[in-house]
Amino acid sequence: MSESVEKGRGGGPNRQMLRRTLALMALCGIAAFLALLIRLYKLQIIDHEYYEELAIQQQLREAATSPARGTIFDTNMNPLAVSASVDNIYLSPAEIEMYGEDRELIARGLSEILGLDYDDILEKTGRTGSWYVTVARKVEAEQADEVRRFKTENGLKGVRLETDTKRYYPNSCLACHLIGFVGMDNTGLEGIEAKYDSALSGSAGRTLRATNAYGTELLFGSFEEYSPGEDGYDLVLTVDSTIQYYVEKHLKQAVEDYDIQNGAGAIAMDVNTGGILAMASIDGYDLNHFLSVSDEAQALIDQAATEEEAAELLQQAQARQWRNKALSDTYEPGSTFKIITLSMALEEGAVDLRDSFYCGGNVSVLGRTSPIRCWKDGGHGSQNLTQAVQHSCNVAFVNIGLRVGAETFYKYCEAFGFLNITGDPDENLTATTGIDLAGESGSIWWSQNTFCSEKNLSQLAAASFGQTFTITPLQLITAVSACVNGGKLMQPYVVRQMRNPDGTAAYEREPTLVRQVISEETSAKVRSILEQVVGDPNDGTGRNAAVAGYRIGGKTGTSEKVSLEAQTGEKEYIVSFIGFAPADDPQIALLVFLDTPSNKSGIYVSGGQMAAPVVGNMMADILPYLGVEPVLDEGEAGSMDVTVPDFTGLSREEAAAAVKEAGLDFRTIGEGSLVTGQLPAAGVSIAAGTQIILYFEAEPSADRETVPELSGMSYAQARDTLSYYGIYIQTASPVTDAETQKVSSQSITAGTVVGHGSIVEVTLVSGDDSMLGRY
Amino acid sequence: MRYDSARLTGFSDTAVKERKAGFDTPFFLLVLILLTMGVVMVLSASFARAYYDPGNITGGNAAYYFVRQLLFALLGTGVMLLASKLPMGFYRRYSFPFLAFALVLLMLVPFVGVKVNGSRRWLGVGGMTLQPSELAKLAVILSFSVLICKMRGRMKTFRYGILPFAAILCAIVGLLVLEPHFSASIIIIAIGGVMLFLGGVRLGWFIGAAAAAGGALAVLLAFFPYASSRITTWRDPFSSSSDEGYQIVQSLYSIGSGGLSGLGLGGSRQKFLYLPEEHNDFIFAVACEELGFIGAVLILTLFALLILRGYWIALHCRDRYDFLVCAGISTLLAIQVFLNVAVVTNLVPCTGISLPFFSYGGTALLIQLGEMGIILSASRTILTEK
Repeated sequence: MSESVEKGRGGGPNRQMLRRTLALMALCGIAAFLALLIRLYKLQIIDHEYYEELAIQQQLREAATSPARGTIFDTNMNPLAVSASVDNIYLSPAEIEMYGEDRELIARGLSEILGLDYDDILEKTGRTGSWYVTVARKVEAEQADEVRRFKTENGLKGVRLETDTKRYYPNSCLACHLIGFVGMDNTGLEGIEAKYDSALSGSAGRTLRATNAYGTELLFGSFEEYSPGEDGYDLVLTVDSTIQYYVEKHLKQAVEDYDIQNGAGAIAMDVNTGGILAMASIDGYDLNHFLSVSDEAQALIDQAATEEEAAELLQQAQARQWRNKALSDTYEPGSTFKIITLSMALEEGAVDLRDSFYCGGNVSVLGRTSPIRCWKDGGHGSQNLTQAVQHSCNVAFVNIGLRVGAETFYKYCEAFGFLNITGDPDENLTATTGIDLAGESGSIWWSQNTFCSEKNLSQLAAASFGQTFTITPLQLITAVSACVNGGKLMQPYVVRQMRNPDGTAAYEREPTLVRQVISEETSAKVRSILEQVVGDPNDGTGRNAAVAGYRIGGKTGTSEKVSLEAQTGEKEYIVSFIGFAPADDPQIALLVFLDTPSNKSGIYVSGGQMAAPVVGNMMADILPYLGVEPVLDEGEAGSMDVTVPDFTGLSREEAAAAVKEAGLDFRTIGEGSLVTGQLPAAGVSIAAGTQIILYFEAEPSADRETVPELSGMSYAQARDTLSYYGIYIQTASPVTDAETQKVSSQSITAGTVVGHGSIVEVTLVSGDDSMLGRY
Repeated sequence: MRYDSARLTGFSDTAVKERKAGFDTPFFLLVLILLTMGVVMVLSASFARAYYDPGNITGGNAAYYFVRQLLFALLGTGVMLLASKLPMGFYRRYSFPFLAFALVLLMLVPFVGVKVNGSRRWLGVGGMTLQPSELAKLAVILSFSVLICKMRGRMKTFRYGILPFAAILCAIVGLLVLEPHFSASIIIIAIGGVMLFLGGVRLGWFIGAAAAAGGALAVLLAFFPYASSRITTWRDPFSSSSDEGYQIVQSLYSIGSGGLSGLGLGGSRQKFLYLPEEHNDFIFAVACEELGFIGAVLILTLFALLILRGYWIALHCRDRYDFLVCAGISTLLAIQVFLNVAVVTNLVPCTGISLPFFSYGGTALLIQLGEMGIILSASRTILTEK
């Protein structure tokens, strides 16, 4: 053998080795690789699309870029709802663990900055399976910056911030039911925020892109698809914040004065366009804290026995405060509906201004077992049409309704938007105005067969003075506006313009004429009759709504809540008043309804005594604001409040003459010869005939006085009572007779301690006993 | 007999001239091509993880892994060339001392080893880490080759053909089980078995060993829930795609979404932290995603050619020891490549095996290139057929 064998090297491989090597070559060099190639072919070629889709599914993230929510402006471009940028703060516990970050440091830092519970945050940092655990939502810039600083200073990757927007309502409670609010996810939940949610929210931009496993961007921009979002439209409302403020102010005052049990509502409408100028509902709530309920409701919730009960009470209280009564409540309108009956009767020629109606206290109607009674025992006697309306005489209106006839009455109700005839004569009917607000309820009417039955006229008779059907306050004011604006039924609306973010108009709402219901001539007659309901100080049941110097028309309403009487045994009422002004050329209509006044308030429960003065007070504020000039005739001027002149420096004789000329009375303090001071100060407006104080070289006292209860006193009585204390009185109500008109509400509550020279504003109602009735 | 005559002529003067002429160029070039591709793939696969640095290792330097791998590749090429210069007699002489060295290191691991994911497999050496199991694989090839040469003619007996080999294997595998290191144990046993197969052991022993292995596996599956859950995950990785099956599912997404021509070099999306170990054990999945079926076939073909060329060199060795070492190293390479690709394609249950020349890892690369150098050294003794 060879050398190598001798050296013990063993020579080359033997044949068996070579054979076995060839076998290995076949196995390891060829067969194994073929197996792998077959496997790869299966994965990459045959199943390619399946895996690719799954891979793309996990790699692509859709990121929505949040568009700015549009601003809501009132008609004068005052912002009512605005959005601001805030931050959501969240943890990425998975990364906290990955980078070994100090959990206690994070919990301590965040709990201090955000005022949250330390243990709660510490627990959240430990949820290591998660990449996203929310700590705080909608954190405002100042706190968010602090969190950002804390994050940077400590190099924390597990503490994250993301941009969000928060809705702010600069006026808090004002017009809360109209505006509505948005939820945590910025979706509109109530009011305009809900109805116009898609317009306000705009369209979210969409970025579809491949991301890494953490959901952040890849290092290069491949595979990205971007569709830009659009910011939401700004909305400009027909609502006027100032009018809304006046309406809310007086409505709240009324709820307090009359101890209203079940809330109240009011609507102010532009008579000619149907635009809503104001809409209020009591109770209101702060839009910025829409989940918080009133203190009284909260106190009840705190007393709840169980958590479930508390949660239920909270939910009920929230639902109650969020309810827009002016839009969502339906009620029997009562006598305010006589405007509708009057309008159709005049339009149809069924009645004439010269017609005479006799009221003997009640009237029998076919189909009714008992006669329909007028609100006034003994009846109104003989009246012409205007007087029948002034008296709000039920008997006269039953006769007017019967003259119109059921079919025609029903047709007009449809024309005024109270019902939609469906063709099924046995179906109870309903309708809505279609206003651009969320939550509108529909009316409920008897079916055509019931209402128009020739054998039973009781439905028609009751409907003639506004009973046995229910409608919404909004439907009523819309229809009454048509009655006085020349006969045009306008669709009510709230949003008059949508604006692009750059301020240009994207959409302009034109007033929508639904139909001409009555003629201009008929409308003029209705206006003139209704003006005399308010304007006639002797016969008008609406006289308490009068405002000196203004021509106001309107109608009272007092409706019994029948269903509730059955439950509680006590008669409960909704009192209301609908007015419009100026009566010769109406601009604004105002409806106020007070749900269930307490009969212990000292004021007689009726629309004329309770709701009419509220409308009057509103008109007294709103009409000057709208630029309507008051026109005072001679008689009125004398009974108006007077402006106190400056008497200082005058001698005793000069002062006496000046006081008399100003229509005031006076008493003196001091022994000097010249006036050195006076109460009240020059320039304020107070009741005529008030006894003022003139100081002749004497010092006015700095004593403070307690305001007495004025309710029920006549205006003159109240004036003299107050002036005794050195406190003075004024009123927006027209003063026709200071001796008989009675104070129904006062601006400074009895018991309040005030300084000398303070002014108490009061509301006057007619003290005439003939005014006391449910009309 | 033709081989024998070729061997005989090989001892002429021309053989000496050939030896001076140099090593086997095709084998060398195949190694360089694969190494280059591997380093480029490390750059592509690793830069996302290096950039995002979820493990706080790289400091956000996207080229971190690439630069290190490139340095080791250059160093490794030097090691390969040096190893090719050393005569085969050198390896033969130091085969058993090397085995002893590897055993000592393996014994050290349980005491001073670095623990990663619950296993102690690494030794820290001056800022670098070393897996002694990598050395043990080579030690088994080298020492078995020497022993087989010593036992020539007695390989068919149990006492000489099985016992000493089994003793060495048991020592090494015993130490690996302590770590524990399942995949290295499998490879060591496999490569030991192949050496014995080449050495001429009766095939009956292999049948017996296969039966024993099957029995052991059955016991393992029956009594160790960990092992059986591996099997469940293997059969249906999507059933646990968020935990045990996550890695393999992500790997299948990568490979599958590559399609025929791939997303282009650097275009992998799965490497953006979806696919774990994307620059280590699962680098082939990224290669499949970026280079497609075409690229995968190319890489595997290059590996196959390299392995076949390794066997070809072995077949042409005039010395039995040289032959055994070359065939052993080629088989080791084949086992590693096959198991790695089989794991990432879910052809076999998931276990941690790196892909030679591709997977990130400095010392492993040095050892692999050293092994290639040994084959090149052996190739210098071959008389080419020109």
